[in-house]
Amino acid sequence: MWRLGLRQLAAKKFRLLSTTMAVLLGVAFLAGSLVLVDTIGKTFDDLFAEIGQGVDAHVRSAESIESDFGDVRGTIDEALIDEIAAVDGVLAYHGHTEGFAQLIDKDGDAMGDLGPGPPTLGFAWTEIEDLNPMRLFGDESRAPGPGEVVIDRSSADTAGFEIGDLVTILLQNGPEEFVISGIATFGDEDSALGATMALFDTATAQRVLGEPGRLDSIDVVAVDGVSQEELRDRLAEVMPPAAEVLTGDQLIKENQDAVAESLGFFTTFMVVFAVVALFVGAFIIYNTFSIIVAQRAKEMALLRALGATSRQILASVQVEALVVGLIASLLGIVAGVGVAVGLKALLAGLQIDIPAGGVVFTSRTVVVSLIVGVGVTTLSAVTPALRAARTPPMAALREATVDQSGRSIIRTVIGTLITGAGVAAILAGLFRDVDNAVSFVGAGAVLVFLGVAALGPIIAGPVSALLGMPLRTFRGFPGMLASENAQRNPKRTSATASALMIGVGLVGFITIFAASATASIKKSIDDTFIGDIIVESGSIGFGGLSPDLATDLNDLPEVQAASGVRVGIAEVNFWPETVVGFDTATIEQVVDIAVTSGSLDDLGPNQIAVDQDKATEEGWAVGDTISARFADTGPQTLEIVAIFNEDADLADRYVMGYPGFEQHFSDVFDSRIYVITDPTVGPDEARVAVENAASGFPNADVQDLTEFKEARAAEINQILGLIYALLGLSIIIAVIGIANTLALSIVERTHELGLLRAVGLTRRQLRSAVRWESVIIALLGAVLGLAVGIFFGWAVVKALADDGFSRLVIPPVQLIVVALIAAIVGVLAAIGPARRAANLDILRAIGAE
Amino acid sequence: MAKATMTTIRAGDGDGGSVPSAARAAKVVKVFGSGPTEVQALKEVSIGFDAGAFSAIMGPSGSGKSTLLHCLCGLEPLDGGAVFIGDTELGKLTERQRTLLRRDRIGFVFQTFNLIPVLTAKENITLPMLMAGTKVDEGWFDTVVETLELTDRLHHRPTELSGGQQQRVAVARSLITKPDIVFADEPTGNLDSHSGGEVLGFLRRAVDNFDQSVVMVTHDPHAAAQADRIVFLDDGRIVDEMFTPTVEAVLDRMKQFGGE
Repeated sequence: MWRLGLRQLAAKKFRLLSTTMAVLLGVAFLAGSLVLVDTIGKTFDDLFAEIGQGVDAHVRSAESIESDFGDVRGTIDEALIDEIAAVDGVLAYHGHTEGFAQLIDKDGDAMGDLGPGPPTLGFAWTEIEDLNPMRLFGDESRAPGPGEVVIDRSSADTAGFEIGDLVTILLQNGPEEFVISGIATFGDEDSALGATMALFDTATAQRVLGEPGRLDSIDVVAVDGVSQEELRDRLAEVMPPAAEVLTGDQLIKENQDAVAESLGFFTTFMVVFAVVALFVGAFIIYNTFSIIVAQRAKEMALLRALGATSRQILASVQVEALVVGLIASLLGIVAGVGVAVGLKALLAGLQIDIPAGGVVFTSRTVVVSLIVGVGVTTLSAVTPALRAARTPPMAALREATVDQSGRSIIRTVIGTLITGAGVAAILAGLFRDVDNAVSFVGAGAVLVFLGVAALGPIIAGPVSALLGMPLRTFRGFPGMLASENAQRNPKRTSATASALMIGVGLVGFITIFAASATASIKKSIDDTFIGDIIVESGSIGFGGLSPDLATDLNDLPEVQAASGVRVGIAEVNFWPETVVGFDTATIEQVVDIAVTSGSLDDLGPNQIAVDQDKATEEGWAVGDTISARFADTGPQTLEIVAIFNEDADLADRYVMGYPGFEQHFSDVFDSRIYVITDPTVGPDEARVAVENAASGFPNADVQDLTEFKEARAAEINQILGLIYALLGLSIIIAVIGIANTLALSIVERTHELGLLRAVGLTRRQLRSAVRWESVIIALLGAVLGLAVGIFFGWAVVKALADDGFSRLVIPPVQLIVVALIAAIVGVLAAIGPARRAANLDILRAIGAE
Repeated sequence: MAKATMTTIRAGDGDGGSVPSAARAAKVVKVFGSGPTEVQALKEVSIGFDAGAFSAIMGPSGSGKSTLLHCLCGLEPLDGGAVFIGDTELGKLTERQRTLLRRDRIGFVFQTFNLIPVLTAKENITLPMLMAGTKVDEGWFDTVVETLELTDRLHHRPTELSGGQQQRVAVARSLITKPDIVFADEPTGNLDSHSGGEVLGFLRRAVDNFDQSVVMVTHDPHAAAQADRIVFLDDGRIVDEMFTPTVEAVLDRMKQFGGE
């Protein structure tokens, strides 16, 4: 039976080419994602190892808050250096200060992006080579003295800076000018993964980057012969509890683990898309093998009549599936490397730059890809294989008939049950409090797709007829032929369409989700924002605008009020939170905070305001105290002085005033400034005034309300674009699937097509008929997909209604575009099969001798 | 029953006579394969088929009779010579023109699988018009349907028709465009003698009542006997001709092919 399976395969290689392609693409994406993740992981591992190679011990504050945006850690007393210097075994040490330093290029624009990309960093330079990952580049580069700076080579090249140039740098205290004394590389790289670096002498660094008398950490080099552990232990003896000591290796590992965790999320994200692609592939394999089995029914029945057992027939089909899966997976793994390169480019487009380095190809990638690829293929072929095995021997003697069935009670019942189970799982996951809600929703989605696919044949007929009606009118006989042919085998039409349904369904869902998100955000901004101008820095917590700008704006006659908003991370009520800092003197003039009890005016240094939902959840009221922990000031008790109900999420859950921020956070930047202009002044005039005031602050971006809303929408659309691109793979696989099925159907209909050609159907008419049949199938898939997608979109948006999704938007234009794209998919899929059909040898087709 | 007349045709003898030919082959050569496996299916065959006549082509298997038919309707490209439908030389037409000629000026009846399964009988009959996007002559349609006794079968699909009924639908289709000529390739081959006889009768009636030209390839003497003229092929050449044939005469002549 092995031989039979393999012979069959060899005989009809072409037929299984498309199936192989479908699996190949899915496996390639999976393998590519794994390769990419491994490569990124290794890159960061190497990076941290390089930075940390000379460090034998690392002393830092024990006070840190771990949040999703990275760790926030307090500072340590500079005086600890004296203690360290006195410890036996210490060869060298360096007090490390780092902070926000944004370079301004020669055009006056701020370099780098304060958003979620590589940071804009400032450091203190150290002469101790072991502790300084930067290397001076070129003969003229010198370490920085007072009033001087060393910048990274990448920034220097981008902006055209040379040694001796003056460069303005945005710092916490405002912009300052420095002379470039040197250019440095990060090890051998021009920059550390895109981060810009400005290095100052120690005194300057302490002044402009941090607080006088405080350090971020102290790196220590051991004397030869003293191990890292020994050094750490000796240091720990003399360090106060506020400071902790790590070995150099521990530090490296800690950094590597942090990256690995982020990569874990990224891996999951990519793998989800690979799974979607393979899910589509599974439909195609199922479909192809069903057709193959049907076409070979006579032959299989003959074998059965001659004495082959059911199991042997089953095995022969399974062997074919296994070999296809194996070949496709192996090729897919190879292609995966190419995919990894492509994904890198895609990410680079989103400014997530990964340096060219060796591609990391692990055995995990190979094993996982093989197992998944072969598994998916053989599993999808099981049902057709079983159907083949159950062929009664008598079938060999009967004429094969066109399968008009599709309606059967069993199918209806099973399909409805599966769909129902899927819907229930999704609703449970979204609306009920279950553990592992995400798994519920995911499993539910899979079940819904399978259920709808099972029910497909029931509506395939009527929908095809409906879609065919305009075709008959506008496309004449080919349209009629297309419509009739799409209806003749509802099971097959539906199975083919189902492959496209998945991609369309997910695209539809994401479109609705994004449109709802955008509309909700815009609405909430409209509802809560009273002002008319926003000055953005793009910062999400690191760096930002100097507080001087808000002061300057408030002084403008054209401005009624300008309120700077700060952002910090702290542990509140034992959970890491984003705390928003408001200027209580002005904030209520620009944002409708909707204070429901207490008053924001009472926000002193140890007071906090809490969002209504959170307060209700915890049972808090004005006057209660809650515990908090700050990286810079340690554990604190804060008094609740106000509760608010602000809708636009501009205030998050916790709000403190400026006194609180000045007390508990060391960095003080405005993340953005909300401005309301004097109503008696024309809006254009007011804006010009604001822009003039902001011109001295190069990283300030002045936006009116519309631009602000559009910018929020653009953020969402950027992610949407990425997801569309990733789902595009599934659509491509669906195209292959439709083309595949169409080609197989044409083989089946060879005689009939030959007859039509003999009797006078032109090639063009035949191509047209094939093409429109394909379009009908594709549109059927789109109809099913959009129905599912709209359900998903509705369910998820409704579930998130309390989390800011106040609006459900089902955008008709976009969804029609999706349907049109499906139609185009149909046209594309038909290109090959239509040409093959049109070029049929008429005489051979009608079986003439 | 008229007595069969026989004339022996020398290979190469072309058309002639005052009756216009509906279809004509002139020194047609057809070769299959190449080198050592080369087969000369047709060796400079010249023959004309009169308009308004029922002609049959007979011969043992491998004689080239089907090939000749395929060449005459433009489905088989020639390796030499020319074929004409009326005055139109097929070799001078583009593929598209040949296709349209088949649609508008030739009628086809094949041995089996003559019909498109997804279309009704009526749609199958009017297939040439459907393809051309033109209107059917209602009067002619009714006449054809009545003649072929298909009036109450028009809205059935081929799977709902018997073999004989399917062939009748095919014959109706072949007549609906009032073609220059109807080519029938073993039209009764898959039918029982009763249905077969019916179909032949309809073909005969088409020639007699509607002045249709029919050329039929067959190996069945009963079928051939319905024709006005039989052309005998052997080994790629026309070897004989028979007018107003009888079944016995045909059987006798076929014995001479030896062993078939």
